[in-house]
Amino acid sequence: MAAKLNASESLDCSDSSSSNDQSVSNRSSNRVAEKERRKNEAEDPFVLALKYFSDVEAGTPHQGNDDFENNLALVEKVAYSRGLPPEAISIMLEFAMSLRMGTSPVVRVLKCLIPASVVPQDAIVRAVVWLGISKITAGTQVLFIKWVLTIFDMIDAKDQLRAVYGFIFSFVTDENLCPFICHLLYLLTRKESVRVFRVRKLLDLQSKLGRQPFLLHLLSLYKVFCPELVTLSIPSRMRSGFRNHNSPWKSTLIIVQKRNGSQLASIVNPAVTLKDKTSSRKRKHWHLEIPALSSAVNKGAQTEPSRRKVVPLVQIQSFAQLLENMHRVELPAQMGSLLGSSLALQYLDCVQDESALLRLNFWLGYALHEEFLFCSDGGASQNSEEALQLLDKLLSAHHFLQEGFSSSEAFLYKFLNVWDGSLLRPQILGLLSNIPVVPSSQIGQLLFEPLMQLFFTSSPFFKCGLMESLNNMLRKWLTWHSVYALEDDLDISLNSHTSINMTLSGFKDSVMELVHFVGRLATIGLQLEGCHSLLFNFILDFYETVCDMFLKYGLPLIVMPPTGVFYPALFATDPVSVDRLAYIMYRYKVNLTSAKSQEKLTEQAFHISRQTFREFNNYLVFMVNCLWNSKMIHLGTDIQLGEELLLKSNVPQYWASFDLIHHPAFMNYAVDFHRRCWPGRKDMDINSIKHSKPWGWYLEYLFTQGYDGLKLFIQSNISRQLPAGDGQGDKLSTDER
Amino acid sequence: MSLLKPFSKLPTLNTASILLVESEEQFQQSLADALLEETAVTMNVRLAKSLPLPKENEESRPRIDLVVFIINLTSELSFQSAEASLKHLDSGYFLGKVCFLVINARNASVPIERLDAVRRLAASLHCPLLFAEDQTPDGVTNAAERLLTILKVAAGRVPMATALYLSNLTRCTVPPDIDQPSFD
Repeated sequence: MAAKLNASESLDCSDSSSSNDQSVSNRSSNRVAEKERRKNEAEDPFVLALKYFSDVEAGTPHQGNDDFENNLALVEKVAYSRGLPPEAISIMLEFAMSLRMGTSPVVRVLKCLIPASVVPQDAIVRAVVWLGISKITAGTQVLFIKWVLTIFDMIDAKDQLRAVYGFIFSFVTDENLCPFICHLLYLLTRKESVRVFRVRKLLDLQSKLGRQPFLLHLLSLYKVFCPELVTLSIPSRMRSGFRNHNSPWKSTLIIVQKRNGSQLASIVNPAVTLKDKTSSRKRKHWHLEIPALSSAVNKGAQTEPSRRKVVPLVQIQSFAQLLENMHRVELPAQMGSLLGSSLALQYLDCVQDESALLRLNFWLGYALHEEFLFCSDGGASQNSEEALQLLDKLLSAHHFLQEGFSSSEAFLYKFLNVWDGSLLRPQILGLLSNIPVVPSSQIGQLLFEPLMQLFFTSSPFFKCGLMESLNNMLRKWLTWHSVYALEDDLDISLNSHTSINMTLSGFKDSVMELVHFVGRLATIGLQLEGCHSLLFNFILDFYETVCDMFLKYGLPLIVMPPTGVFYPALFATDPVSVDRLAYIMYRYKVNLTSAKSQEKLTEQAFHISRQTFREFNNYLVFMVNCLWNSKMIHLGTDIQLGEELLLKSNVPQYWASFDLIHHPAFMNYAVDFHRRCWPGRKDMDINSIKHSKPWGWYLEYLFTQGYDGLKLFIQSNISRQLPAGDGQGDKLSTDER
Repeated sequence: MSLLKPFSKLPTLNTASILLVESEEQFQQSLADALLEETAVTMNVRLAKSLPLPKENEESRPRIDLVVFIINLTSELSFQSAEASLKHLDSGYFLGKVCFLVINARNASVPIERLDAVRRLAASLHCPLLFAEDQTPDGVTNAAERLLTILKVAAGRVPMATALYLSNLTRCTVPPDIDQPSFD
């Protein structure tokens, strides 16, 4: 029968790709077939088998019992091929947990409990009760809880399970069960469940068992709900305590869901018109799909007297409604669904209570880890639609909240260590740029080491992408700083939700580390790629952010670019790089002068080191001398080239080769200008542009070509006495010290 | 039983030679095909199951600029074979002309200790450790591209850069500390 069903499904699947209408009619015809099948069910062996298990007398021996053997084999066959319907799950679970045939068949039955759609919660509650009274072996008990954890999201409602929270909690003292019970409790806990005696019990256990991660996790959730009850300090970064324990079922579950999936998918998402090939592949990641927003409170529960009225998030339609019901929102059972709804994200953003975020983080960390770090198929289907969609949803949620989730951060640190640099590159780089400020003591190991390896072994395009992402990261850090910096300029809380506080100097250290790191990458990257002009553009983008840190973001920190970026930019063969460098130098000047005047004005402790001023002045003098004065003066530190060596190179007037006329980037403008200025002249002498009048015209001409950076740079740094002088005697404006 | 030496032969003009060592011979071939797409230099791709290389071809073998050990993390054997082969390389190779390429690192069946062992091995030899996705065509192309980036430097095709210089920047470091947040 299973085979027959499969055939009809695959037919349905291929049809649905061809046209939507057809698939609808097809489905209705399927329904007719379903009805007919129902009629036949009376004689269906599967139904008979289930009947056997629900009616079997307690104490019936199972060894040598052919009826039992055949019936169980039949149920297993159905379970492994298409999953068990809810009624079947109830019957089989009841049969197993009540030990009607002793303890030996229990494991076998539990292993084949693969739900086709949902699991009725009554069955779970009854089974939990059996767990308390029957004599099930420890191993089997663990297996049962593992099963509940695996299918947790498929349980149709959770309210009755929550009602027996205390009963479930009592199993926590069982040493074997404890880790799994903690996980189950973690999923069920609500504010009402946190009580003093439970906290005490957990703390007792902790003193007995040591700081076990599963206890810590449950306690951290308790702490979020009732901080006054849990005084324990929870480490901010801890190993996740709950292990994967879905192994006996997961692969079968996925296969079954995949098989049933083509039908389900058309119900869940009728608009999808994918080719049949992709839709069959789609189902592999069914567990990953972001669930639709649905309520944990089912209709039956509404009538039950509850102490406070709750409003499921799914019923809230508008922002106004959200505001009214803010204090009594009931979170959905599947936290992942929050990612897809902007109202839910708004709720997350405003709500004070951290449990929502904690639960979301937990779900997310788990999903990301399962999907990208711990793949069962070795990552063959990584570029699947779902993986992409999940990351895209995550990114847009980050974007919406303007901050990242700690679980995605933790995931990224792990992922970077095994990343090949191309898999899901846009998404990963996007996540990277959302990383909140990392303390400078950890930044090297968590970020810089893996990134450096990837950077230097990858193509220039990867290098550009990483540069852009680091630039975005820096911009976000600086924006956080300017938004969250407290008035006294000492403490900033980095993130509205996490409690990490960072001192200003700590923050400055992190920014400094990042800027220096990018400086190193840029210097060596440019060298290895032969000053790739695209890469250059991204590097200069980064320094456009860096040069404005003081004025734009109010961070009292100014870092100059390294020589390995400055000189290649100045001597670049494309005028755009030179122009952008000029703009950056102009902004540095504006920032430094205003920082200095502010320092004088307020006499505050904030202080820019002399070294920074010296570096800036060296660069500025060199640049003006080079472009304007046709002199190659090297003031000691940066460039050391012997005079004799330069003479030996036999370049005539080598000192003038990088002025605005002879600079390889501007030479063609000079030639063009010369032609327009003196159209009649046969012999070209571009040196004649240096005379005062044409020099001014030439500058005007350059400015009209769109070199605004150059214009700002020259206007702010060079004062020309217009009528007199030949350009050689122009002075640097004096802001050097 | 002869050592493979990096400088025992003269280099050929515009040529870069790479040796891919993989005990399972699965990923080698597709990687070699992707490497041969490169047109800027004459590419020599040599495949081997393990080292030492057979004596017969020694005359015709070009100077090998880069030795790549492909390690399949799902198999213990693959790691052991690479470890054994390392003994047949001249120490000169470890100045930037060896790298490790790990595949299947994200597989659920990989024990975490094995990845740590590979990392420790690469770190102790100061070699870069690359990860590759061998199951998708994009992954293979990308792996080939990254190997070419290293190979070009190792073969002296990038001005102002040497293999030692690059490997100093990219070499693997000690395994990250276990206190990191993890979800296993």
